Order: sequence, then C-alpha cells, then structure tokens
Amino acid sequence: MKFILNTGRTIRQGKYIESKLGKGYAEETSRCQIHPLDLLELGVEEGENVLVKSEAGEVVLVAVADEGLPKGMVFVSYGIHCNSIISASTHGTGMPDYKIHEVEIVPTSEDRKTPVELLEQLGGLRYAGN
Amino acid sequence: MQEIKDMVCPFCGCLCDDVTLEIDGDRIVSTDNCCTIGNAKFLGKHRLKNPIKKVNGKWVDITYDEAVDTAVDILLDADRPLLFGWSGTHGEAQCVGVHMNEILGGVIDSTTSVCHGPSILAIQEVGHPGCTLGQVKNRADLIIYWGCNPIEAHPRHMSRYTTYADGYFLDNAFRNRKVIVVDVRETETANVADEFIRIKPGGDYAVLSSLRAIIRGKGDMIPDSVAGVSRTQLMQVAEMCRTCSFGALFFGVGLTMAKGKYKNIRNAIELVDDLNRHTKFTLTPMRGHWNVYGANEVFSWMTGYPFAVDFCRGVAFYNPGETSAVDVLARKECDACMVIASDPGAHFPRACVEQMRDIPLIVIDPFQSLTTPLADLQIPAAVTGIDAEGTAYRMDGIPIKVKKAMDSDYPSDTEILTRIYDRMLEVKGL
Repeated sequence: MKFILNTGRTIRQGKYIESKLGKGYAEETSRCQIHPLDLLELGVEEGENVLVKSEAGEVVLVAVADEGLPKGMVFVSYGIHCNSIISASTHGTGMPDYKIHEVEIVPTSEDRKTPVELLEQLGGLRYAGN
Repeated sequence: MQEIKDMVCPFCGCLCDDVTLEIDGDRIVSTDNCCTIGNAKFLGKHRLKNPIKKVNGKWVDITYDEAVDTAVDILLDADRPLLFGWSGTHGEAQCVGVHMNEILGGVIDSTTSVCHGPSILAIQEVGHPGCTLGQVKNRADLIIYWGCNPIEAHPRHMSRYTTYADGYFLDNAFRNRKVIVVDVRETETANVADEFIRIKPGGDYAVLSSLRAIIRGKGDMIPDSVAGVSRTQLMQVAEMCRTCSFGALFFGVGLTMAKGKYKNIRNAIELVDDLNRHTKFTLTPMRGHWNVYGANEVFSWMTGYPFAVDFCRGVAFYNPGETSAVDVLARKECDACMVIASDPGAHFPRACVEQMRDIPLIVIDPFQSLTTPLADLQIPAAVTGIDAEGTAYRMDGIPIKVKKAMDSDYPSDTEILTRIYDRMLEVKGL
C-alpha cells in the first residue's frame, strides 16, 4: 500500500539524543505510527514489523497504531531509520522532503535493525572503548 | 552538594534560563524546572573520554595534540571541505569556524538548511514581522501553532510563553488566551487547542491563501472545502485572528519541510502582514537547536549570509539548493567534512551518509553519535551549559549568556577549533 511518510521530533527521541547507541533510541526511532484502519487493510497487527520502501531505499520498522494520524499517512520519529528512505533531492532549496515523502509499505517477517547495525551495514565502525 | 540557580538549558530554541542544578563533586545529580529532554541533557552520561582515530579499520585512542594535527592534515589536504553543524555550540566557536572556512575556501553550513532554512529564504523575500517571546507572553491573546508540536519538541514553550503563562497585560491569561493548532495530524498539542485545523498533507499554502482572501474581504471566493478544511472553519478562524488584540503565529518545520517549502512561509508572513491592517500580529519560527539562531547571526555578521556559505571563490557566496550541506554531499562534491555539534549521520538522507562514509570525516562532539561510526577522527569537547560557556541566541533572537556549572579537563569547542585554526595558519605560513 502507498503512504505518505511524515517524520518529526518526539519527546522520547529527544530524551535519548545523547545516547543514540542505546536501546531506548533504537526503539523510538524504528516505530512506524499508522492509522488502525490502515493496519487492518495491510493485514498487520500492532507490534508486527513492516517493510517501508521508497525510491531512496528500504527499512524495517515496527507498526504502532495511532488514531491521530489521517489514513494514508505514517509518522516516524527523526533518526537514521526514516532517513534511510528519504531522498536527498531538495528541489533547489537545501531542504529534503522530510515531511511528505511517498513510500510503499508491506508486511514483513524480517527483523528491525538498530541504528548502529544500519551504519555497520553501510560500512561504519562502532567505537567500543570507554 | 551544591545548588546552582538560573542556569540555561542547552537543548532547544526556548533556552529556558530558570534551571536549577544540584551538583555533587564533578557530577550533576538532579535538575529542577527542566523538561524531560533538558533533564536528560544535563544528566547525560558516557562522554567520550579522549580523542579517537580510525587506523587500518580500527579505532585507537589518541591525544588532543595528535587529534589537532590529524584534523589539520585532513582539512588542508581537501580541495572542497564542508564544515557542518554549529547549531549545538556557542557563538564564539561559530566565529572561529567561519575564519577557518575562509582559509580553507570551503563550504560552511549549519543545521539551518535542514530546519528553518526555507523560513530565512522567505524572510529575505518579504521580511520578518517578529517580536520577543516576552511580548507574546505578556500581550498575546491569540496563539497559533502551525506545523509544529511544542509539547514534544519545545516542551516548556507553552508554559513559559503562551498557553499556560501569566500575561502582564492580560486578565486571566490561561482562560482568555485562545490557542489554534494547524497540523496534518492530531498531535498532543492539537489536543489542548481551542481550535484544531487539520489540513491535508501539502495543503498549507492553499489554506494560508484562503485565510488571506477572507481577511482581505474576499471570503465569498472560498470553496466549501480547502485542503480538507471547511469554509465555515476558515471563516471562523479568520474572524478569531482579525478580532484579537495581539496575535502570535508560531510555525515549525511542518511548513518548511513540506511541499512548497519557503513559499509556505512567505504566504504565512504575508498573512501576518494582512492581519496587521486590522490588529497586531507577529510571527516566530520555532527554532530547534538551542543556538541555531546564533549560527545564523554569526554567519550573517561575518560573511553577509545566514547559512550555506561557500568561500571557494575567495569571497562569500550563498545559494541554498547548491551550497547547502545536503546538496553538497548528495552531489559528492566535498572531499572532506568536519561535523561539529550536530549529528548528520542520524538526520541526513542515506545518499549524504554514504558520501560522509567515503570521505575523510572529523567529528567534534562530547558523545558518540550516529556520525561517529562513519568518522575517521572524533574529538570530545566540553558541553556548553555544563563545563563550557558562551553566547547563544534564543528563537526570538535574544542573546543569552550560557553559563557553565563546573570546570572539567575537556576543552571547549572554541578551544579545540582555535587550536586547529592556529595550527592551520602556522602550516600555511599565514
């Protein structure tokens, strides 16, 4: 199903902003908030994983019901998960389409990755000392 | 145990300056008056203990002297370096960054380009009818939050300056001050509004235009529904705006990051302009990082431009969309990057992250961030507001001295950058 991806600050994401390698941040930034009726249509239960794809890439997130969203829109808090599927095109303004980005969502049995795992997949290296 | 009052919170653009910290030795043990986010910032743990450098695919601990030399080598070896971040550090460090960029002939950009950069483009077109937050607190009887969610992003904004604040010139401010929230989703902030306007995604420009038409007496032109908002509600909201004594429109990145980008803000400013023919109305962007406004101030004084400043021609040049960080990275144009006081590894699109991975990357940050795994060198700095001090600008442009609560062995951002800059001048014989 096609959706519009909206990304933004949440208070929990803000709280973990200086401990981004921890579980709390990983959990918060990999939540895909979605209207309950859209969940029904997707055939996905709350807490199950979904694969979110765009022209820029794809990422696995966990579905969380949110009645405050309009149907057809999903919300993901700022972080590396949502930015894995945001295009770098800025239309000559310097600003990517962080708030309005077309994505496709399908159910998946794949596991979510942590932010560090996503970076390691890209060739990054975590510092394990101190 | 020592208690320090009136400290400034270095998290968001509210720069709350009434924070009390309780200190035990070299550790902050509790805070008072902070929001959840500010509290977490002051109590932050797990700082990087020393500079680290990636050597043959492994991180090794190094000294500050070695770190400065490595940073100088990387930057001087580059043809087109990008110096990005700046919004989470004090103005004095931003000054050194601009000087450094002039020597390097690189691009210097702050997180502005991915937050309120479009707002600045609009302000350059049609001006900024703004005021201080003190004026809003004491006078405004109508508040509009458009495309922003202060309860989650600026948690004390409503209690310090708007909804829950007393107003010197207002009777019973809590009851009489009206709040309108405009958003595409029903947020926590929408739940406490007197009037919530839900707009279809991408419909902000049309709704702003409709309100302007009504204010200009052309309400009969408005169709039954505009971007999901009924004509009745538009008429009602326009009347609330026209008849208030002092209105304050706060807008967030819901406008700058959506379709239309800076044109949305231009339309919002022009709505405020139209309303000022009937009453007093002002507009303020909800700035995110605690000193992103300061980065705009410092860059403007020193180069003439507020962000995305390119020195490759020997003089300052500015063209957002071309010289902004996301574009420079996505075009794979820069051949080295220094990131300070921000985390583009977490907040930039993947194409930009891949470019940061592929070029020499320096990070100056007290903590491991999601830019760290991509970096070749990280230099830990003191945290402004805890063990470093400096000047910051609140979201309404008021400069505030951010004090430090304690001393530590960590050098401040200004000290680290000055050492890099001085060494750079020495190597270049300048």
